[in-house]
Amino acid sequence: MTFERNFLLAAVALGALIPLVAFNEYALHIGIMIMFSVMLATSLNLIVGYVGEFPLGHTAFFGIGAYSAALLSVRLGLPIYTTIPLAAVVAAIAGLGIGAVTLRLRGPFFVIVTLCFAEVLRLVANNWIDLTNGPMGVSGIAKPASIAGATGVQQKLWFYYAGLLLAAISLLISYRFVYSNIGRAAVALRENRFVAQSIGIWPFYLGLVTFVLAAAVGGLAGGFYAHYISYVGPEVFGFSFMITMIIMVLAGGKGTLAGPVIGAVLVVFLEEFLRDFKDLRFSIFGLIVVGVVIFLPRGLMGFIGRRHESYERRPRGPAEGGAKRDRVAPALKPAGLNRGGAADA
Amino acid sequence: MDLLLQLVANGLVLGAFYALSALGLTLVFGLMRVVNFAHGELYVIGGLFGWALTVVFGWNYFLALVVVVIALGILGYLIDQVLVARVRGQGEEPTILLTIGLSIFIANTALLIVGTTPVTVASPFASKPLFLGPVVITQARLVLVVICAVLIGAANLLIQKTTLGRAMRATFQDPMAAQLVGIRTPRIYGFTFALGATLAGAAGMLLGSIYVVEASTGGIISLKAFVVVILGGMGSFAGAVAGGLILGLTEALWGGYVSTGYVDAIGFALVIVTLLVRPYGLFSRRAERA
Repeated sequence: MTFERNFLLAAVALGALIPLVAFNEYALHIGIMIMFSVMLATSLNLIVGYVGEFPLGHTAFFGIGAYSAALLSVRLGLPIYTTIPLAAVVAAIAGLGIGAVTLRLRGPFFVIVTLCFAEVLRLVANNWIDLTNGPMGVSGIAKPASIAGATGVQQKLWFYYAGLLLAAISLLISYRFVYSNIGRAAVALRENRFVAQSIGIWPFYLGLVTFVLAAAVGGLAGGFYAHYISYVGPEVFGFSFMITMIIMVLAGGKGTLAGPVIGAVLVVFLEEFLRDFKDLRFSIFGLIVVGVVIFLPRGLMGFIGRRHESYERRPRGPAEGGAKRDRVAPALKPAGLNRGGAADA
Repeated sequence: MDLLLQLVANGLVLGAFYALSALGLTLVFGLMRVVNFAHGELYVIGGLFGWALTVVFGWNYFLALVVVVIALGILGYLIDQVLVARVRGQGEEPTILLTIGLSIFIANTALLIVGTTPVTVASPFASKPLFLGPVVITQARLVLVVICAVLIGAANLLIQKTTLGRAMRATFQDPMAAQLVGIRTPRIYGFTFALGATLAGAAGMLLGSIYVVEASTGGIISLKAFVVVILGGMGSFAGAVAGGLILGLTEALWGGYVSTGYVDAIGFALVIVTLLVRPYGLFSRRAERA
């Protein structure tokens, strides 16, 4: 607990100080992308790391947040200080709805059905031209009034600190969640579903709470993105955001608070580094994903050493790791028990 | 009425297209339980390889088809033994990621090699239209439906009637028990993946003579194939056909009578609804197994 708290505090403090040494437009842009990525990765990590399911359509919440902020800003002229929180609220409501539907499913079915949701949303964004302007997207999203006439560096500095604040809020939400009773119940469920259920932990309800939180954080990232890029198109629901999110969470280490932060920093730098490789860079990216899965199955946090987590004292034996657990699980969970949330209780 | 008949005919052809492109995934995802996101890319490789052989090198269509089938089989076997085998038994997540990484790699490398231009496989089947009453259908499309039926029948026979097919089914039901009775399960995994890749590649080449093949279409092919397999139920060939036909017919009728705007969304909406009502697919009897 203390390690993670200290790490996160140090990371935020370091983030606050960086503009003092690297004060130019490019460095600030990289910093902003890191802040944005931390939000995304933290959001996905809540579900992958603590519900233990794999939502391949997590971009739904990011996209909903981005479109909400964009439309509220462009159509209603609301200021940035209200659009970003509202984006989080809209995404959270969507999270409640989508979670209530999808969390009844598990494993590959959950993966595919969440992906379907994101695809449907992408197609809606593409076709509901009256609202979303279709494939053209929503552009001209306002910058905050205080920096409207500012130069590039000043604008970037504003967004950098706004991003730092939002990233810190996301991490705080995540931290408070993980060390709350609900978070502990989620860890218990992740570690041993059968035992957790036997002591009265209700997976469906727990998943739903986590889903709403993750959606809110994703919406926050979306709102921030919309205002920073100043344009939102249907591609926000696309697979490329999903892939970067996945790599950040898994390369960093899922189910830890610090992992997604490390992953976000790494992936942003990696993307910048790979720019030199022009068209080859996506192929290299694909190979890196394969490499991470095979050589860093528990991410950098798992690689660095012991996982500094509240459950670190649990007995370690040959049964450790997802592999064995997953193989034991089917015998312990007859399908009738986990088809619907209610039956789980 | 004529419009309806024509739309149904179009839907059936489209359904055959979906069923054929999902056939390999029925094995790999439905039976083997590997969530293979590189399925569409294997389809694209088959199509592009077929195009390279028939158009660029001017080979005979059937000779090229044999070469494509063998090449994709070897590729599939290697993917399974070199990559997927390393994360076997660790749940779905690592394989999902592995195949996503692989699909990014294949799609972008293919893009580098052949560019963004859509290509068509040269085929001996004529695009001459046939008039069946009020319905117009090209010869090539009719041949496609027939080939689709033959392939599905052959694959089904292989799985249900041969020793190898029994060994495959045994392996996926209970790997340990299968090993106990002397089945070399690693080989079976590799072989199933190879067969899945072969079917994907063959579909890519066969369909690549009617529809175009693009380096970047793998993603949407994968998605539709997942839709078909889930609609039809896991691991059943009849289910894949049914799923393909349902998807094809719905899309054709929706496109004809409602609007073309949301045609692509229908499949995904169908999956969401299907899984809500029947969490294991429409025609699956697997509900009693987790």
